[in-house]
Amino acid sequence: MLTRLRFIARRLALAIPTVLFIVVANFVLLHLAPGDAAEVLAGEAGSATPEMVARLRTKFGLDQPYPVQLARYVGNTLTFDLGYSQRHGMSVAELIGKRLPATLLLMGTTIVIAVGVGVLLGVLAARGLNTWRDHLISVLALLSYATPLFWAGLMLIVLFAIKLDWLPTSGMETVAAFYEGPKRIADIARHLVLPAVTLSLFYLALYTRLMRAAMLEQADMDYVTTARAKGLDERSVVVHHIVPNALLPVVTMAGVQIGALLGGSVIVETVFAWPGLGQLAFDSLFARDLNLLLGIFFICAILVVIANLFVDLVYTWLDPRIELG
Amino acid sequence: MKGFRWLASAVVVIAMVVLTPIPALAQKTGGTLVMIVQPEPPSLASYQNTSAPIGQVSAKIYDGLLEYGFDFKPQPSLAKSWTVSPDGKTITFKLQEGVKFHDGKPFTSADVQFTYMNVLKKVHPRGPITFRDLEAVETPDPLTAVFRFKEAAPYAMVALSGYESPILPKHVFESGDLMNHPNANKPIGTGPFKFVDWEKGQYIRLDRNPDYWRKGQPYLDRIVMRFIADAGTRTAAMEKQEAHIAAFSAIPGVEVNRLKAMPAIDVTTKGYEMVSPLVLIELNTTKKPLDNQKVRQALSYAIDRKAIIDTVFFGFGKPATGPISSNFEANGFYTNDVRNYAAPNAVEMANKLLDEAGYPRKADGTRFEIVHDIIPYGEDWRRMGELIVQQLGKVGIKTTLRYEDVPTWLRRIYTNYDFEFNSNFLFTLPDPVLGVHRTYWSKNVRPGAPFSNSARLTLPKVDQLLEAATVEPDQAKRAKLYQDFQKAVVDEAPVIWVTELQFTTVTSKKLKDYLVSPLGVYTSFNRAWLE
Repeated sequence: MLTRLRFIARRLALAIPTVLFIVVANFVLLHLAPGDAAEVLAGEAGSATPEMVARLRTKFGLDQPYPVQLARYVGNTLTFDLGYSQRHGMSVAELIGKRLPATLLLMGTTIVIAVGVGVLLGVLAARGLNTWRDHLISVLALLSYATPLFWAGLMLIVLFAIKLDWLPTSGMETVAAFYEGPKRIADIARHLVLPAVTLSLFYLALYTRLMRAAMLEQADMDYVTTARAKGLDERSVVVHHIVPNALLPVVTMAGVQIGALLGGSVIVETVFAWPGLGQLAFDSLFARDLNLLLGIFFICAILVVIANLFVDLVYTWLDPRIELG
Repeated sequence: MKGFRWLASAVVVIAMVVLTPIPALAQKTGGTLVMIVQPEPPSLASYQNTSAPIGQVSAKIYDGLLEYGFDFKPQPSLAKSWTVSPDGKTITFKLQEGVKFHDGKPFTSADVQFTYMNVLKKVHPRGPITFRDLEAVETPDPLTAVFRFKEAAPYAMVALSGYESPILPKHVFESGDLMNHPNANKPIGTGPFKFVDWEKGQYIRLDRNPDYWRKGQPYLDRIVMRFIADAGTRTAAMEKQEAHIAAFSAIPGVEVNRLKAMPAIDVTTKGYEMVSPLVLIELNTTKKPLDNQKVRQALSYAIDRKAIIDTVFFGFGKPATGPISSNFEANGFYTNDVRNYAAPNAVEMANKLLDEAGYPRKADGTRFEIVHDIIPYGEDWRRMGELIVQQLGKVGIKTTLRYEDVPTWLRRIYTNYDFEFNSNFLFTLPDPVLGVHRTYWSKNVRPGAPFSNSARLTLPKVDQLLEAATVEPDQAKRAKLYQDFQKAVVDEAPVIWVTELQFTTVTSKKLKDYLVSPLGVYTSFNRAWLE
């Protein structure tokens, strides 16, 4: 237990320079983009005088030299002060705090569906190698892997929301109804189905194929022969021996893809008007709302660090031979 | 015999249907209106940002002194009546009695004075132009506000709506930083709807103001504005009747024509007469070969406006003839007695002018190359760019498209002037002073000011006409000045006027009486109701 805690503490300490590097790199990269938030606001307003743009710039702190802005930003970040979004008139922490639950809900559900169903299909395919079941699963996996997310999302909307009228088209809840309590939970769950399924499709295909390959690889290993020789029935061999070992690459992949999942969620959030971080990041890039964008990247970096730490811990649970240290 | 009985009963049924008197439509109260607003507004501070999404929300919360009929004539709102002095320099407003802000405090002339002198003149994007000659707002008593102008300001009279000039509560906004006010996104007005909640990324909720000064109104219990970033999903939401209204072409043109055929959906292009968006192409008049008037005229001849309207805008639009929209025909400002770039022999004219200007076709059939910057506001503009490449190709001009994101593009066009041929659309607003002068007046060559005179036209004759029209109180004389201005500037061709853009509003047929003004969805919806 103590080693485990020490391991976590050390990993977190190592993460600090990584995250700091990400913050600085993001800052520098984003400031390379031409145009700034003051110009965008003035452009949106339709008409504005140069004096007004200058006044906005002073107010946003954009008139300071870059090194000063950078030093100030890093200093603030170290104290977890993510600054203020001038565009939204809200603190960045508050804005992210409001959006983070929606993203976590969508991501969490997606990972559960993608890993769960992916692993199940992978096992089924591997167990029925070269039968119609295997072929069917492989074809389905290939199809969902090759379908662009935005198109899949729109088609699901057309089918399930418009033609069949089973599910709502978009949003996180029925906004005009203002449900509360259990009714609200049920309402959110209904709204979650399509975006989560859409986002899962791509990853599900990946995990299915990965799991199938890993299963086949493990099935030829000596320990499997040993287990069979011991007289274990086929079911036990698969469930207790092959699957836990075959899961390792899937878990690795899932950990790596948490970051990519955030990227994919931009599209799904846009299509389904899901009020998560992805859409916020997308909008703030085009508005040059850099404080907010940097804040989102910062939170994402931390999410990825935590997810990978979690994956390492899952390894030791799946395969006791792996030691922390 | 059986057949006859069937026929007889059918006749009776039809007769009953036809003869049953249709009850007079009475407004039903109650219900929640769901409105799609695209994109999500950056803030609700309509006193410092006039972008369309903000106006659609804020106009429900803030009233103005006046409202407008489709004839552009002012109608009472917070101002019960008004008188304009003969020289146009003094306007006296009598205010409604018993009006309360949403926080229960009474509305008085002090709020009017504060709004105009301390807010609109200072932080509103157009305010410093619209109210530059407004020297003082006097308040002889709580229900009288007297506007004193240095010069007559005929254009100011059409800029007093709740969208353009929202009346703010002095007691709320006088303390604190106006540029960054805590109530910017928690607006308190006198309008028919009260601000309740803004769930960022999802919706804004407004509830009925039970103490609204027009007794018995509004009819709706609630308005919810939803934000859906994807155009396909917005269409699906309208189709499934999850939302009742989507304005400012939130539903793409290709889908509008499909939705129009549905029995439950209405489509209109009315309600934008005080917005009057104009699609134009700004030419950099300081750069070769565009410094040559003949070349600019040739480019204008080369553009096939009809083809653009039909293919890019799905028929929603009218060919533009010059800087002033034909919506201004009613008050005499508009004229089409100008050089006609949509002439039947336009391509021939273009070729002739280019030859004359000293740009003959080279061996490969081309004359010169230009770069076309595309306004980065969506797919339509990119498609228009592709069509323009073909159209200019016909007269021997090789065109390359350049597409950047909004901040990059704004800086390129309006700060660095590093462009040749830029597509754009501008709201020309209820008066030329507000929406037209900025593009052609030499004093609006102002680096860093978005949507100013980027063509960098400096023509003394144009300047004189515009300056005279600004302060001319007589409507007929003003109209003459604007007609002369159109003739002069159209001939100079610093800009190619392409189309008068028609925005579409898609609504559910259940929504009634929302369209009562040339400001369309920029109004308070105090009379709107749901069947």
